Amino acid sequence: MKLLIQLRTPTEMASYEGCALALTLATFGHEVQLYLDAPVFGILMQPKSRLHGMIQSLELYDMPPAWLPDDVFSGWLTGMVPTDLATQLMLIPEVVNPQDFEQTLTF
Amino acid sequence: MTAAAPLLLITKDPSHALAHLALRYARALLEQIAINDNKQNQISKDSDTDISTAPLNLFFYADAAHVANRLRWQSADQVNLTKQWQVLAEQYNLTLSVCVSTALSRGISDSDNSARHQLDGDNVAGGFDLVGLSELALMMQNNDRLIQF
Repeated sequence: MKLLIQLRTPTEMASYEGCALALTLATFGHEVQLYLDAPVFGILMQPKSRLHGMIQSLELYDMPPAWLPDDVFSGWLTGMVPTDLATQLMLIPEVVNPQDFEQTLTF
Repeated sequence: MTAAAPLLLITKDPSHALAHLALRYARALLEQIAINDNKQNQISKDSDTDISTAPLNLFFYADAAHVANRLRWQSADQVNLTKQWQVLAEQYNLTLSVCVSTALSRGISDSDNSARHQLDGDNVAGGFDLVGLSELALMMQNNDRLIQF
């Protein structure tokens, strides 16, 4: 199944659980694209957060870089985080076409 | 050929309106399936309807795991989602699967996990099963009707 998983809730647990679901589904062969919205950027920037570590390891799960809305804030964020994390992030236009995915899940 | 059973991925806390909508959706869907099955059986008396197969897959994840807490108290004038899901599961032979890690992180455990993690007691409500996240991935393998609440 081709899925878009959006992380929008600014809590460590919610962002972890959404990302954990994405990694698990990818392990089982599902095609998963992560989208990180601005409310979770604060968690992403914390080196000890589970979200930070999991995004760093997206490539190990054969997952594409996580999408971020292409705005000034995201550009600033990608300049602030370590290079190994920044390479796992991609800026995309804010409007995502839901028709490109079979289902969209939001956490 | 039979269509795959729909899969409801419930992620909202029982206090959220969508958690109640999930129950109403499930109930309406199951009633409709039952009506359709009855019509089918009247048309074809010799058809082999497999009643052992659940007509609906359910997976409680994240904050929705709270619904599996048998110690969750609420006032009598509120809808008891835990009880309602138990009744529906009993009626339609449904499995109430709850992600074990999200349940444990919210203080919900069964006897096996309590023993494994040295927790004092268990509190999972009857009819709910704590399972790994891989169960959800497997449910989705042949499922093209996934709905999140």
